[in-house]
Amino acid sequence: MSIEEYIDKADIEARKRALQVFRERFREILEQIKRGENPTIMLPKRTLANTIYDERRKLLLLGPEKLSRSFFDLHESKKFMQTLLMARIIYEALERNEYPTIRDLYYRGKHTIIYREPGGRKHEENTWDEQRESDSVIRDIEVFTGLLREEMLILSKEKGKVVGNMRIRSGGDVIDLSKMGHGAYAIEPTPDLIEFVDVDAEYVLVVEKDAVFQQLHRIGFWRKHKAILITSAGQPDRATRRFVRRLNEELGLPVYILTDADPYGWYIYSVFKIGSITLSYESERLATPNARFIGVSMTDIFGYKRKKPYLTEQERRNYIIKAKDADIKRAYELRNYKWFQTKKWKIEIDIFLERKAKLEIEALTSKGLRFLADKYLPEKIETGDWIE
Amino acid sequence: MSKVQEPLREKYRSMTPSQFFYEHRELAGFGSPSRALYQTIRELVENALDATDVYGIMPRIVIVVEKLEERQDFYRITVEDNGIGINPKYVPQAFGQVLFSSKYKLRQARGRFGLGAKMAILYGQIKTGKPVEVYTSPIGFTKIYYYKLKIDIERNKPIILSYAEHDNKTLWHGTRISVVIEGDWSRARSRVYEYIKRTAIATPYADIVFIDPEGNMITYWHSIEKLPRPPKEVKPHPHGVDIEQLKRLIRDVKAKTLIEFLVSAFQGVGKRTAEAFLKWAGLNPSLDPHRLNDSLLGELARKLREYPKFRPPSAESLSPFGPEIIEAGLRAILHPEFVVAVSRRPKAYEGHPFIIEVGIAYGGEIPLSNEPILLRYANKIPLLYDEKSDVAWKVIDPRSFNWKDYMVVFPAPVAVLTHIASTKVPYKGVGKESVADVPEIEHELRNALREAARKLRLYLLQKKREEEAKRRVITFVKYTPEVAKGLATILGDIDEKTVQEMLLSAMKRRLRLDDEEFAKLVQGLEVSIEE
Ligand SMILES: Nc1ncnc2c1ncn2[C@@H]1O[C@H](COP(=O)(O)OP(=O)(O)O)[C@@H](O)[C@H]1O
Ligand SMILES: [Mg+2]
Repeated sequence: MSIEEYIDKADIEARKRALQVFRERFREILEQIKRGENPTIMLPKRTLANTIYDERRKLLLLGPEKLSRSFFDLHESKKFMQTLLMARIIYEALERNEYPTIRDLYYRGKHTIIYREPGGRKHEENTWDEQRESDSVIRDIEVFTGLLREEMLILSKEKGKVVGNMRIRSGGDVIDLSKMGHGAYAIEPTPDLIEFVDVDAEYVLVVEKDAVFQQLHRIGFWRKHKAILITSAGQPDRATRRFVRRLNEELGLPVYILTDADPYGWYIYSVFKIGSITLSYESERLATPNARFIGVSMTDIFGYKRKKPYLTEQERRNYIIKAKDADIKRAYELRNYKWFQTKKWKIEIDIFLERKAKLEIEALTSKGLRFLADKYLPEKIETGDWIE
Repeated sequence: MSKVQEPLREKYRSMTPSQFFYEHRELAGFGSPSRALYQTIRELVENALDATDVYGIMPRIVIVVEKLEERQDFYRITVEDNGIGINPKYVPQAFGQVLFSSKYKLRQARGRFGLGAKMAILYGQIKTGKPVEVYTSPIGFTKIYYYKLKIDIERNKPIILSYAEHDNKTLWHGTRISVVIEGDWSRARSRVYEYIKRTAIATPYADIVFIDPEGNMITYWHSIEKLPRPPKEVKPHPHGVDIEQLKRLIRDVKAKTLIEFLVSAFQGVGKRTAEAFLKWAGLNPSLDPHRLNDSLLGELARKLREYPKFRPPSAESLSPFGPEIIEAGLRAILHPEFVVAVSRRPKAYEGHPFIIEVGIAYGGEIPLSNEPILLRYANKIPLLYDEKSDVAWKVIDPRSFNWKDYMVVFPAPVAVLTHIASTKVPYKGVGKESVADVPEIEHELRNALREAARKLRLYLLQKKREEEAKRRVITFVKYTPEVAKGLATILGDIDEKTVQEMLLSAMKRRLRLDDEEFAKLVQGLEVSIEE
């Protein structure tokens, strides 16, 4: 039996589609050359200035500014060459049923162009030097073809994990996410190829910290509270974001996000919710605009108006960490982003800036794992004490 | 009552020109042994050139500087030329009497004052006690004449120590003169070399051989056959005249009436002009010029200077290099990648005609420098000292001339040659080392520089365009294989070679290059890819 026969049908379909898109898009370039024109790749600009926050859809999107990358333009010529080089490598990998990582692509495309100038001087030039360069070319190809890297079967190291009352089909196997023992299901790099078989849950809880995820898993939090429990283990990768989005969009499950109470935690939430600045072109597929910030919030720590704090004076003294200059700076930056300019976020950021205090989720487990699992989380969800 | 100071008893005496110039020798460039060595070479070489190119002879000049055995600081300087020679009658005065010259004429020459050779001789004689030795044979003479001379400084008269005649079987003509002076070669060396180099730049039609005291020989062979236009002697222009000159002219010109005098004494003045002038000046045309008193003479001189309608001074007395000679000289000595020279039309200041010429040499072997290298010439003589106080520096100084407008950004490899040819160069001193900033001259220099710089700019622009085109082509060509391979692989129905050819023809179209131009740009370009 050849190895091809072990490959999932879904992968084969994805490849076919990607190959087709590549041929169509690059056919246009060849037509330009045939007509004697300057071959040009038109791309949306991936810059902060061309990143737009869509207030209605609550998404970070790529703006309308386009960049034309022409081969016969002294300053764009190399990028154009790199784009075709990368496109070829990805295309070949698709054809050969491979699953390259972005690092593989970097190495495959890195070679030396040697040329001797008229007059004799010999020069050497690498197609690219650092992976930063080839990664950026991959992003260009994603926007040029309209295919996300997952759809091109490019893998990246993913760290998201999930457990819960749910069964999925992946690579032809049905996996029961409630039967993972003390482990968890590692969210695969191509979450679009996952098929949801059945699910019995009321909401999704995403925990920033892997350790807290494990604690909640061990005490059977998801079973008791009918939740799908996910961790992003820090900044969420694309697969985790896409997976969460699908749970929300396709299964209609509300999504709650639990992070540390500091500007970095807030940003993790905002990446889930509206997308990231560097990858704003993927927001449409990766962001979960309905995601809710469950905590830990500043008002949980200090209380606000009629809301009573979850921590006593004594606990605050024990758990609160003094904010560093970098945290403060980041908070001021976030305050400038449109999507943090809602009433509730203003209160959060103002309290933070006033108290110069931050807190890790672990503080709540120190107060008692049961407190976190059976009081804090259910109570907040029940009373609607979250930030949209 | 205050005591009145008894007046001092003053002593009076007179001085001959030879005494005066000996005492003030630094005025003429003989202030120190090193300067004197340089100045001696210069005076003799300039005399040699005056005796050749002015008369249509392609100069062949040999310069030898030797160290004497007897004393470390004594040098014999010998300069030989193939010029017109000197009539033996005049040799003693030409070399033994200060202020004796054949060049007191209204035409351009390197020498003027009747001083140069004598200063060297005088200086040598006082410092070393050695006489000057001269061999000469004028054109067509069958004998070569030899003189050994000293100058009687008190009386400004030659003393002939020895005289001889030799057969001139080969009909050699020219002059060979040797003087011994106290000098300082190690200090003078770089200036002397610079002087000879700059002379060679200005005389690409001359053969110059130089042998220095260390026995090094350097030669500059002529690179063109063309000589500059020789200057003609002209009458003075009325704008340049003063009372003394007027008196002399009246004495020399045999004229009975004022109108006759004006017509025959001055250039460009015919009967009609003379009449119009006299009417304007309110002077009677039939006055006898010999009868004019001093106040009338003063009046006449002033009116002559002020009358606005005289024709501009004639430039026939001038001998500019001409662009061809400047370009050849700069090219032969500096080995630049580009040269341009302009000769401006004649202009005048205070009745003296002058012509400004400017040459620019760029790139090639010219070193990079933060300011232009300036090569100044006045009546074909290179000027080496006091550069920064010269009007030419004032004009080309990057602080006053916007070189950037002409695509020259310093540090740049650029040399500028300036030449002022005039019957009277307004030197700042007797040392003839820098030219004063006369507004008319400054203005002309600036115009000439602009004119030349515009041509340089065109060249640089063209070059930049070519370089840019080349850079573009190289960039596109080196990336073409990758692009072609990418497209061929993805599309599958077209091969790499075809895509490459299509890319190249699109490239040519884009860059507006025909096959030939394109081939020229990529000639020798090789591209390979190491996977
Ligand atoms: N090499 C030479 N060939 C011909 N004549 C010369 C030469 N050197 C000097 N003379 C004559 O001697 C004269 C005096 O020379 P010099 O003292 O240098 O004064 P100047 O050059 O100012 O006239 C010149 O005017 C010229 O007539
Ligand atoms: Mg002289």
